[in-house]
Amino acid sequence: MEEADRILIHSLRQAGSAIPEDVQSLRAFTAELAVAAVVGCLQVLRPSLSSGLTPHLPPGMSARFRLGMSLAQACSDLGYPRELGYQSFLYPSEPDLRQLLLFLAERLPPDPAQESTQPSVGESAILLQAIGARVRELLAEPWVPPALRPQKHQDHVRPKALHVQPFILPNAKSLQDASEVQEFQGGPLVAPAPAQIPCRAGRVASFLEEHGAQLHELPEGDSTRDADKAHRRHLAPRLVEQLRQSWGQAVSSTSGVPAPGRDLGELLCGWGPGSGEPRGKGSRFTHAEKFTFAQEEEATHVPPLAPAEVPSLLSPLSPSHLEQELRAGQEAELASLQDHLELMGRSIKEAGATVKRLTLSTGQVEAEAQQAWLSTTEREQARRLKRRAVDLLPDAPSNLAKLQVVVEASAQRVIHLASQWERHRVPLLAEYRALKKRRDQRELESSHKAAELQVLQECVCAAAAEARRKEGLYKQLVAELDTLPGDMARSAYTHRILEIVGSIRKQKEEITKILSDTKLLQKEINALTGKLDRTFAVTDELVFKDAKKDDSVRKAYKYLAALHENCSQLIQTIEDTGTILREVRDLEEQIETETGKKTLSNLEKILEDYRAVRQENAGLLGRVHEA
Amino acid sequence: MELSEYVQRGCQMLADPGCFDLGAFALLLRAAFRSLLEARADEAALDHPDLKHIDPMVLKHSHAALATCILEAGKQKADKSTLSTCLEDCKFDRERIELFCTEYQKNKISLEILLGSIGRCPLLITDVSWRLQYQIKTNQLHKLYRPSYLVTLNVEKEDSVSHPDISFNCTMEQLQDLVGKLKDAAKSLERATQI
Repeated sequence: MEEADRILIHSLRQAGSAIPEDVQSLRAFTAELAVAAVVGCLQVLRPSLSSGLTPHLPPGMSARFRLGMSLAQACSDLGYPRELGYQSFLYPSEPDLRQLLLFLAERLPPDPAQESTQPSVGESAILLQAIGARVRELLAEPWVPPALRPQKHQDHVRPKALHVQPFILPNAKSLQDASEVQEFQGGPLVAPAPAQIPCRAGRVASFLEEHGAQLHELPEGDSTRDADKAHRRHLAPRLVEQLRQSWGQAVSSTSGVPAPGRDLGELLCGWGPGSGEPRGKGSRFTHAEKFTFAQEEEATHVPPLAPAEVPSLLSPLSPSHLEQELRAGQEAELASLQDHLELMGRSIKEAGATVKRLTLSTGQVEAEAQQAWLSTTEREQARRLKRRAVDLLPDAPSNLAKLQVVVEASAQRVIHLASQWERHRVPLLAEYRALKKRRDQRELESSHKAAELQVLQECVCAAAAEARRKEGLYKQLVAELDTLPGDMARSAYTHRILEIVGSIRKQKEEITKILSDTKLLQKEINALTGKLDRTFAVTDELVFKDAKKDDSVRKAYKYLAALHENCSQLIQTIEDTGTILREVRDLEEQIETETGKKTLSNLEKILEDYRAVRQENAGLLGRVHEA
Repeated sequence: MELSEYVQRGCQMLADPGCFDLGAFALLLRAAFRSLLEARADEAALDHPDLKHIDPMVLKHSHAALATCILEAGKQKADKSTLSTCLEDCKFDRERIELFCTEYQKNKISLEILLGSIGRCPLLITDVSWRLQYQIKTNQLHKLYRPSYLVTLNVEKEDSVSHPDISFNCTMEQLQDLVGKLKDAAKSLERATQI
């Protein structure tokens, strides 16, 4: 019974009843606990019905009575077959309470945590579970025609395909960007980021994509723009190389005579996709250009031909010679004009060189002039000084004395000024030094504080990261915990159940042994009875035969009959005794159960309750009268 | 909810009371929601006179960051506590968090609708009708004697656009293949629910 009680109490606890840990069997259940357990079960089984029930016993007797009655009513509504009254809860007897709680616990829904046999590990399992739950939910939904469907999100807007575009994201405080870039991004030419993409869904998708890319720091850079830049950077040297190659080819092929319009063709051929391949497989441009070169090289020997004519020359059946001549004339004129142009260009270049030379010489001459002027002014000054000295020569001694006085005075003034300067300088210097010292100190302090601040910030960041990590761990652990105890209880239960099953089997074996013993005994009894009957019949017959002849034998027969009768009476009595004994035992059991129910004490208690209710009522009535 | 460094920097600028006072913050917040939820984003959203004194670079950066933050919250179905932890990380004070949360709650449904409208979902099949035909011969073969099925899948009609029903012709093996695949799919779905 202990085991069964423990299992029962465990399931009650799972149903949400607050049963203390030290309560291990139903014998320890008080009225308080019984009510709490029953209310807990009812709250799971009938949430609507049990809304008015409290798991705590109210203090007033009438309120207790009402609670007990409503609990009894709820239990019989659930289909409890036995008789229930309010006293079953308030003065619980162990067997009745066990019956009731077993009945309720059987009806409890199975614990969902116990249902999952597979313990979940990690976040992916949790995600899978969430997906499974959602799919289950969707599967359970019945199909409804679209017209009847409640307005759901997807029905308002038609779904649009995912389409992503890059943004120009202005980045304040970025030091790498040049000020022009900042000016451009801050200016009116760049719209705010959301306005850069007209389509709404595309805007949203692009934002999310951009953010995802930023979060994951793609190796190509954070957006397509950077990829473009990198590509361009990669492309640039190749382009330069191609241009240079094509330029070299052009120079070598034209023998120094530059022709207008040729460079373009050359360039374009360099840009073309087949530039690396031999000429023979080039584009139409290449061909046209080739014709031009050929014609120019011939220009010195033969009358030049228009490039457009070359194809017609190749085909011997050309239509009009007149036009051809005209074209030839034009071509000759063009060539002479080109020569002229070339000549002019060369003369311009020469003139430019001359101008440059002349400018250079002018500069030289100007510098020389400057130098000469400088030396002139110097000499002029020297001359003026000498002139003064010569002027003073006639009255030399007096002038010398005057000069001496002047020199003396100026020396005095210099000394005076120096002392004055010194007077000003010393305090200023001291002040300067003090300020410098203070500044150094402050710098030191601020750097200390900055370092401290940085350390603190790092600490905060680390703590935040730690907290986040722990929170995640906690969530995961809680999810795992949900599955664990159920499993443990399950295994313990199966173990206990197996034990119980084993003991039951043992008992069954014993019972069968006793049964077979009884059967054996019965058989023996039967055999003995039969033997007795037969022996008696034979004896009866023998004695009866002789009884007619002999008187003593008749007497013996009479005795025999009496003996037989007495013996059967004796057996009957023994059997009756056995039955009575059994009955006595039954009755004793019954008495025991009846005393277990504590009917008498319950009755007394009920009477007391009745009295208490009457008293309460009387008090209330008195109060009503007073009022 | 995780935010990139760019977004965090933008949000930190927003949280700085020296850069944005509360009124400017509210203005910018509303502008961000509007620019996401309206069909045509207003290019002059940031030309409000109360925002004139703020550096346009900072303004645009914060605007973009705020828009990303809102979308990310909508994507994650963030509740209020998640939002406030995330914003506290960006040094938002209580008033701003409160403002953000109320504005987010107000626009949550339209935001969800908007996010739900990205991507396309496959057609919904509501019914199927089929016909069995028996080919006796073709132009190439003199005798064929083979059954073939004409199957039409009825597609759910939406009011705005109607897709034509899907009809095809298949042999018995192909139909069996199709049925097997459908059963497989149903079974995998069943298995997914039992995890």
